[in-house]
Amino acid sequence: MDFSSLLVKRKKSIPVSRLLEHVTHDMDFEMLAGYQGTARPVYTWDVNRPGLALSGYLDYFANDRVQILGNTEIHFMERMTPAVLSSVVANMFSFEIPVFVLSRNLVPPPVFLNMCNRNGIPVLRTAMSTDEVISRIILFLSEEFAPETVLHGTAVDVYGVGCLIVGKPGIGKSESALELVERGHRLVADDLVELKRRREDYLYAQTNKVVRHHMEIRGLGIIDVRSVFGVGSVRNFKRMGLVVELEEWDDKANYDRTGLSGNHVEILGVRIPYLRIPVRPGRNIAIIIEVAALDQRLKEMGISSARQLDQEISLRNQYMEQ
Amino acid sequence: MNDVSDDVVVRNALGIHARPAAALAKRASEFESEIYITFMGNRVNAKSIMGLLTLGAARGSRLVASCKGPDAAEALAAVKEVFESGFGEA
Repeated sequence: MDFSSLLVKRKKSIPVSRLLEHVTHDMDFEMLAGYQGTARPVYTWDVNRPGLALSGYLDYFANDRVQILGNTEIHFMERMTPAVLSSVVANMFSFEIPVFVLSRNLVPPPVFLNMCNRNGIPVLRTAMSTDEVISRIILFLSEEFAPETVLHGTAVDVYGVGCLIVGKPGIGKSESALELVERGHRLVADDLVELKRRREDYLYAQTNKVVRHHMEIRGLGIIDVRSVFGVGSVRNFKRMGLVVELEEWDDKANYDRTGLSGNHVEILGVRIPYLRIPVRPGRNIAIIIEVAALDQRLKEMGISSARQLDQEISLRNQYMEQ
Repeated sequence: MNDVSDDVVVRNALGIHARPAAALAKRASEFESEIYITFMGNRVNAKSIMGLLTLGAARGSRLVASCKGPDAAEALAAVKEVFESGFGEA
């Protein structure tokens, strides 16, 4: 399967309202001003502390970022007379600014709030400390702007290893997943797997919100895995640790017979261990995937079955030679 | 390898729900070519019922069908026919 031709989506901007609806729960934002500006776009995951801009230095002003106002900025504003502050802020507002975020429940000067109201620039406030606000907003925004794609396959959490099962239609991806679920593992997504890169090297699979944990099994039709097997048989997202490609058995193909080579594929720039498993009637794919997941766990713990056996045999051979 | 695509419009009253999705996936599966349907920035495999269901395409939606493979032209004609017939529904 060619993972390089996937259609990658990446958001160019998000409205300020998205920041409100999705961070509200843990950030507990209140809105102080600029209610009409919630559609303003945020273009980047990074934030800016506009101390230098407030002092009048506007070269290189990172105006397109979320502007964080902490103790420093607010106390600096308080030292200015209302006339000076309003001229400084007016200069800042000649640039497009998406949103201001205040930490520590700070109280900004009324002049500043009035100007934000007039210009429709939202001002949000939370009780958290400035560094906490910054790290949460950056985390949230970098996830929002993370590249994502949709892949035709099945994702199952097998013994804690996220297994992405791919292969041609009809090869038995869903049937294998069904058997894995029957054996107590958890379905993440079937048929349509949404993949997202978090940080630089984490690939997450998640359920599509429309079809959720429904599966199409040829001969049965559509079944709801959560209703049939219970809530313990599904999960909504999982980091992927192994890609398994199912393919028709080909006598001429060179399948891995030792497990020493350690192949990988790259999906959204994340390198993931990769196995090709040939399918043939009578071959229990679910059990093979189960063992592959367990072996992957061992490898992550630094234990490679194939390499250890190989080393033992090499040692014995050296000993026998003398 | 041919690569063809064209617009298709959802004609039936209830849009793409389970039965139309199954009808389209069944017809699409008769072809060797890869067949994709794109709607509002989402691209799904036309041979996948689940994929088609996620599109949320209501009556009047304009989608793009694209086919790639040895029988791409025939596949595209078949997909268009399925859409034009309203998936056999009113």
